[in-house]
Amino acid sequence: MTRWPAIFPPRAAIPFALVVVALALLPVLVGVTPYERNLFTLTFLMISGALAWNWMGGYLGQVSFGHAALFGLGGFVAARLMLHANPTPAPIAWFLGGVAAGIFSLGAHPMLRLRGPYFSIATIGVGEASRLLFTYWEEFTGGASGLSLPIDIGMKALLYWWALGLMALVVVASFLIRRSTLGLQLLAIKADVDAAADVGVNATFYQDLVMVLSGAVVGLTGGLYASFFAFIEPSDMFGFDRSIAFVLMSVIGGVGTILGPVLGAIVFVLLRQFLLASYPQLYLGLYGLLLILIILFEPLGLTGLGLRVARAVRRRRAGARRVVASP
Amino acid sequence: MARFVDLAVSAVLLAGLYATMAYGLGLIYGVLRVVNLAHGGVIMAGAYLGWVLHGWVGLDPYASIPIVVAATFLLGVAMYRVLVRHLPRGAAGGPASLLLLFGVWLVLRNAAYLLFTGNDQVIRTSYSTHAIPLLGSWVSVNRLAVLAIAVVTPALLQLLLRRTYLGRAIRAVAQNADSCTLVGIDVQRIYTITFGIGTALAGLAGLLSATLFSFNPGFGASELLKSFVVVVLGGLGSVLGTGLAALILAVVEVFAILVMPSYLTAAVGFVMLVLVLVLRPGGLFGQRVLG
Repeated sequence: MTRWPAIFPPRAAIPFALVVVALALLPVLVGVTPYERNLFTLTFLMISGALAWNWMGGYLGQVSFGHAALFGLGGFVAARLMLHANPTPAPIAWFLGGVAAGIFSLGAHPMLRLRGPYFSIATIGVGEASRLLFTYWEEFTGGASGLSLPIDIGMKALLYWWALGLMALVVVASFLIRRSTLGLQLLAIKADVDAAADVGVNATFYQDLVMVLSGAVVGLTGGLYASFFAFIEPSDMFGFDRSIAFVLMSVIGGVGTILGPVLGAIVFVLLRQFLLASYPQLYLGLYGLLLILIILFEPLGLTGLGLRVARAVRRRRAGARRVVASP
Repeated sequence: MARFVDLAVSAVLLAGLYATMAYGLGLIYGVLRVVNLAHGGVIMAGAYLGWVLHGWVGLDPYASIPIVVAATFLLGVAMYRVLVRHLPRGAAGGPASLLLLFGVWLVLRNAAYLLFTGNDQVIRTSYSTHAIPLLGSWVSVNRLAVLAIAVVTPALLQLLLRRTYLGRAIRAVAQNADSCTLVGIDVQRIYTITFGIGTALAGLAGLLSATLFSFNPGFGASELLKSFVVVVLGGLGSVLGTGLAALILAVVEVFAILVMPSYLTAAVGFVMLVLVLVLRPGGLFGQRVLG
């Protein structure tokens, strides 16, 4: 059980607010090409999803390989609502997609008493079963041919700010959860569920709560993603690769931290963009290699690497000061 | 009625394959307390190795069993010595080992994709389409051979675990690794060999399934999950339990085709996995010590 470093101390709030404001003003003041804007939007969405996964995988220690089920459900519920004869306004559709995914997450209740590998394996089962069932359910998901949403150029530009807003909210929520009693209780459950129950932590309730929150946010992300791509198909939205993506982003960046999934998602989107363009055949293997190296050498991922560098620099500085002071 | 017999026969034949897939996963979990998520990747590797030996060297898939078993044994030994051994103590059963072995699986998949492309492959021999009559239905010779190997393999495994020094050491390590160090058993060596045997069984299962089904680099994902169903359902270390569990899974899967569209029968295994984990995490026949 490693103690998490306080990656996100209160003094980080001001720089964070400045970054969000700067990103919000970026398209207006500096101007971005549609390509860059899309890349930013996708990164914001992936950051939101990775952080929400991290509430389960990092804070609670329940590594889920099945979050694609929630992402897909949110996406398809939102898409169906927007395609309805009386189209629902996009934000309401996304919200309802998130609600649907949150409700669906309640179904994980009996699985949450499984610990460690048993929970992870069960989530693979749920994820794959959902993919098959939703691909089969053509009236809802359009089957293998998927759903096309009407393309709305204005909406696609607006999504930059929607996704940025979602990301900012999820970062703040991650911070609040981490800092509150809820965060401490989750930490206790992660360390030892029986001991946590002994000191009065309602493990069942908090696990359900985090699962629903995580599911709702991932579903919300799925809804925005559906609007962003304007075409979704079950084999992609519910696919195993998508579930893996949530795991990889958090682990690469630093599982259990807040900065970690943010960094991980940025690296993931950039690497994917670069690799799919030039080396599509190396794409999965490279992530596998990264995963192996991180687990063996730096369990806190990029964040841990950064901390290690910072510590080394500080030590060298302290050492230099001592040398100066000693004579 | 004839259809019922047909389905029953094919369920029994399928059960043999499922049991073979599950032994390796169960052995590694029983001794090392590590869920080998790379199991599916090794199954895929075994299938491709058999395919290469058959297509490039012209070796019959059944004659290549020793080579495939030896090669995947060495692969497992390497995986343990280079990677799994270095996991932090106590975290061996936790998310770290899961993620590490998942990374291995991704690398294996990518390697197969680079070497053999993503196309579906199949091992086709001169007797692939031969069938003999059995209980009024026609049964493929290949499927019978797979069943025979699936019966012989656990018998050999049981002999190894019961009658040899190595087997007794493996069982002792599964019970209490610390005490084994006290009486002079090299625990790391036993772990290495166990991991090797576990992956060799996965390789064998891969080779056997390659004679029956087509495969590609993504092959092994649902095989891993089915192995897990069998291991959890059968309880750890019980060879008979594993066989029965494989039979239950195969029967449910095969007969599901009577009540649902064939596309959805693949989901039956996944649903069963979740149900079994939630309802009977100790296995149908109770948890037992290995051997």
